[in-house]
Amino acid sequence: MTVSNGTPYSEALSAYQASAARPLKPAGDDTQTLLEQYHPDYRADTLDTIKVGPNSGDRCHRQLAELLQADARIDEADLAGAPVVKTDVLVIGGGGAGCAAALVARQAGAEVILATKLRLGDSNTVMAEGGIQASIEKSDTPQMHFDDTLKAGHFNAERELVAAMVKDGPDVIRWLIQQGMQFDLDEFGDLLTRRAGGTSANRVCYYRDYTGLEMMRVLREAVQNSDIDVWDYSPAVELLANESGHCAGAVLSNLKNCSYVQVVAKTVIIATGGIGRMHLNGFPTSNHFGATGDGLILAYRLGAKLRELDSFQYHPTGLAWPQHLAGSLITEGVRSAGTWLLNGHGERFIDELLPRDVVAAAILRECAEGRGITIEDGVCGVWLDTPGLELRNPGILQQRFPKLLNLGKKAGIDPSRSPLLIYPTLHYQNGGVVIDANGATTVPGLYCVGEASGGIHGKNRIMGNALLEIISFGRRAGEHAAAQRHNKGHKQVGLEHLSRLRRELTISGMPMERKSPMLFPDCAKFDDDADYDGLRRHRRNKVTQE
Amino acid sequence: MSAENQQLVNVVIDGKAIQAPPSLSVIQALWHAGYPRVKGVGCLEGVCGSCRVLVRREGQEKVGMELGCQTLVEEGMQVLFLVFPNPTHHHYELGEIKNSWDVQAEFHRIFPEANSCRHCGGCYSACPKNINVELGVKLAGEGRFREAGELFVECIMCNLCMTGCPEAIAPNHVGLFARRVTAYFHARPSNLIHRLELLRKGELEVDCNSPGSQPDNAAN
Amino acid sequence: MSQLNQVLLHESNRVGADLEAWFAAAGGQGLAKALAAPEAIIPLIREAGLRGLGGSGFPTYKKWGFVAAQSNSKEKYLICNGNEDEPGTFKDRILLQQAPHQVIEGATITALACGINHIIFYINPDQQKSIEAMREAVSQWQASEQIAAIEKVLGKTIEYRVLPSSGHYIGGEETAAIESVEGKFPFPRGKPPFPAESGVHGCPTLINNMETLSNVPHILRNGAEWFQGLGLGASTGTKIYCLTGDVLYPGAYELPMGTPLSTLINDYGGGMLLDKKLKAVFTGGPSNTLLTPKDLDVPLDYESVRERQSSLGTGAMIVISEGTGIVKRVSEYVSFFAHSSCGQCPPCKTGTHYAALLLSKIDTGQGSRADLDALENLCTILPGAGRCHMLDGALKVMESSLYHFRHEYEQALVL
Repeated sequence: MTVSNGTPYSEALSAYQASAARPLKPAGDDTQTLLEQYHPDYRADTLDTIKVGPNSGDRCHRQLAELLQADARIDEADLAGAPVVKTDVLVIGGGGAGCAAALVARQAGAEVILATKLRLGDSNTVMAEGGIQASIEKSDTPQMHFDDTLKAGHFNAERELVAAMVKDGPDVIRWLIQQGMQFDLDEFGDLLTRRAGGTSANRVCYYRDYTGLEMMRVLREAVQNSDIDVWDYSPAVELLANESGHCAGAVLSNLKNCSYVQVVAKTVIIATGGIGRMHLNGFPTSNHFGATGDGLILAYRLGAKLRELDSFQYHPTGLAWPQHLAGSLITEGVRSAGTWLLNGHGERFIDELLPRDVVAAAILRECAEGRGITIEDGVCGVWLDTPGLELRNPGILQQRFPKLLNLGKKAGIDPSRSPLLIYPTLHYQNGGVVIDANGATTVPGLYCVGEASGGIHGKNRIMGNALLEIISFGRRAGEHAAAQRHNKGHKQVGLEHLSRLRRELTISGMPMERKSPMLFPDCAKFDDDADYDGLRRHRRNKVTQE
Repeated sequence: MSAENQQLVNVVIDGKAIQAPPSLSVIQALWHAGYPRVKGVGCLEGVCGSCRVLVRREGQEKVGMELGCQTLVEEGMQVLFLVFPNPTHHHYELGEIKNSWDVQAEFHRIFPEANSCRHCGGCYSACPKNINVELGVKLAGEGRFREAGELFVECIMCNLCMTGCPEAIAPNHVGLFARRVTAYFHARPSNLIHRLELLRKGELEVDCNSPGSQPDNAAN
Repeated sequence: MSQLNQVLLHESNRVGADLEAWFAAAGGQGLAKALAAPEAIIPLIREAGLRGLGGSGFPTYKKWGFVAAQSNSKEKYLICNGNEDEPGTFKDRILLQQAPHQVIEGATITALACGINHIIFYINPDQQKSIEAMREAVSQWQASEQIAAIEKVLGKTIEYRVLPSSGHYIGGEETAAIESVEGKFPFPRGKPPFPAESGVHGCPTLINNMETLSNVPHILRNGAEWFQGLGLGASTGTKIYCLTGDVLYPGAYELPMGTPLSTLINDYGGGMLLDKKLKAVFTGGPSNTLLTPKDLDVPLDYESVRERQSSLGTGAMIVISEGTGIVKRVSEYVSFFAHSSCGQCPPCKTGTHYAALLLSKIDTGQGSRADLDALENLCTILPGAGRCHMLDGALKVMESSLYHFRHEYEQALVL
């Protein structure tokens, strides 16, 4: 994104004054034009057409396409000496969706292994602040929830999936309470709700601004206190297929002793979360360190169809400065409460409560057209006018946004006195693996739930639907996958699908240097880590050295 | 103000002498200097509890426990990542507690060592969130679960109190137990229950082709 | 061999809890001199050069002098420290079981020197025999006519009490012992105030090791010159060395202070078991820098051992041979410290816990280079971060084993 001639930070800051009234500049473009011109999803230079696999011919973000069409990290020879462990259900991913799926599958009587790349609970779930949608208020219905979700997603969502999810909503909250999760309640013990941007009723249930943290620690405790076998530091590097091409398990890399393990399972549930750490278009991200889209790659290689590979959510209010906090999310609740966005000239330039994609595009427009605020080296942003909010509602920050004040403390900025420099941050992958209402993918034996799956949010997600989705579909997939445990076992299990992949890649003339899944962000230099000596130096080399 | 133009500070992280701008967190400084770091990195926002570090600031005897993503590098600082698993050594399922009158008895059965607190204060001083952990354990022992749980609102389950406890009490799990039983036995929101009842009776169906979900009708 | 067990462990003194037999073996003579001239005790102890034999090597007369100088306080305490919980140390239990009156007489003389009226024998509860022997011996004293004479000189009534400690290793630390006597958990206190000013219930308090106190009656009876003559070179008196590990005859040997390590191992320990080569010696705690074969010539006294960057400590010498795995051994000791850390200082508790975990990982063939690096870095970042010296002791063992036996750590790594 070109950044031209913005107002320098110090100059803008000294010119800034909190004010009780600021008119909204009349909108120049209609929203569609705004999106097409400035939203990163619409930038032609970042899109590519997929050449290999079930989505051949589809548009896809270039960086994602590279990984989808990259070579596998392992060969069959790498599995020499790798132990085989059998189970009914293998859940890949230790966030909210993975835990929900594992708990329900175990409850249904299945033997479950839950493998996670880092530690159980290291996920985007733990960071979710806003809350979880469920239509429970008198003024609300599941139908309204359905309509809001469809509309926000630009009518691209799968209706059957959305209907299933919104009907699950209230029962999801009950289930969470039964796991021991707390919600904010009123004096009569009723659930409190608040409204998400772009919705028609108060529907977001929450626990302070720690909803995700509360959910995750409860689910983690529930999993750890069950008979689910949790394998931490064990990323999946490849799926296994049986003689019919059905999913039959996965190859896990045990980072603790640097060896591969083959887990042969009746069914596999992918719950690996999002892709923020691919840093699409160089954007900062609000995502967890492990959000590298591994599940998409694994599922795709086995033949699972994906959708909306060109649609990502850029949350409008990521912190742009200071550097060590760049990308940190400022909850939408702050805008819901009435905080304005101001450009370098001190003007409001967009209705702050429009859907996230529109607001993000407007911020990018201001920066591109020289009305942003710049701090050397291309760091640019606009003001989040928190002092204005405080001026109009004294005490509101302290009362309702303790986490924001904490963020300010870490940034060395007092949000009640000084505006915060914000810039859109890569937040969510709208699409993902195609699933049905049971969370089943187009590959038999393979399920996918949570952010890695697609179809629920269309091309844009509303606040609170992510936490709902992970539990709703996590439970659905867990239940359905557990029921498959009585199926006959696989006759033959292996990596045959990799040969197919390599043939297709070669025929299509794709470069074979890049390996995927990426597992860890580039900045962590995983493949050079002396601790692990990288995956390439796994068991095979060790044997040859001896 | 960019990273490149700042005065660099000298720090030692995991034994590696590093120069980094003071605007970087410990983790970022390590990456900035080109060192790999995978273990002990998580949300990078201070809520997942992965990046526990020991920190000694220049000229100080004190060694503190902090979170690597929340600690900015300072001149002369020494940092060491604490990467170790903390499996919980308690095993319980809420469903096993049949009656809310039994919670306190069950608590002492599940956490028998909670009574052996020697009041060393180690859990409290190890907590990166400054939670009054010791008090929480005491309150839980007295059956004041709601009160105890409130103290642990900000707990990120980093397990530093658990490693720090000489009586192996696992205070964070005590806190979480207190919170969980409070929800499990006492959260009965009538608005939720009413909605579930309507859904059960089939009074709230969803029309997948509703007028409100059509592009034309919704274009406002 | 003639130098063995000359004084404290001399056969004539090992009469058990039998006061008559103790007096028959020249017991009571020291006390009589003390009663005759209490003001002369401290100068005598000074001249003799008696030092704290529990590990500090601190001149005893100085410590006594601080307490004696607290003239405003009527109540003063002496804690006779027999907490003895360190791996490889077992001298106090011998003294307490076989010569309890020696300790009691020593403590009484100390009380006279400093104006102390509460004597507490603070003993590890695992040493039930020691506690029983002391209880019996104390009741004999209390029934004896000595008490009247003592109280007359002291000018106040004197209390003797046998108190089982809590059994925590940390309870042997001076200030922790004070907490324990007050009925609390033995958490080490910060200093100052020093115990000599404000110890048990805020009163001046002296804490001496059982071995130190056991020497006192003999110094009173035989004089400073005699005591000086017992040691080798510049050292004075004797030391009970607890020799264990890969030697033919492990045991407690009372020898002249300053006996060379090789003499202890070869002449008294009967040499290395199976004639294996000496690999290292964990000294006194075992919380000190390791001694290695090049240190075989070191005279085992406080200064000489310190010159080798180590410490004599309690006098425990855990000898290991080529057949011993250094990583395993260090791992065991560090786990002991991790388990013993009182919890007050998170860097100590968590630091030793983490170190123990890393050591056990490496020892069991699961350690990576990063684990070894982390272990080394712990030794750099942690020193001094604890309130007492426990953490530093654990670190010293680790650090010196890494320095001398790095190759063993390296060999155990995977990758």
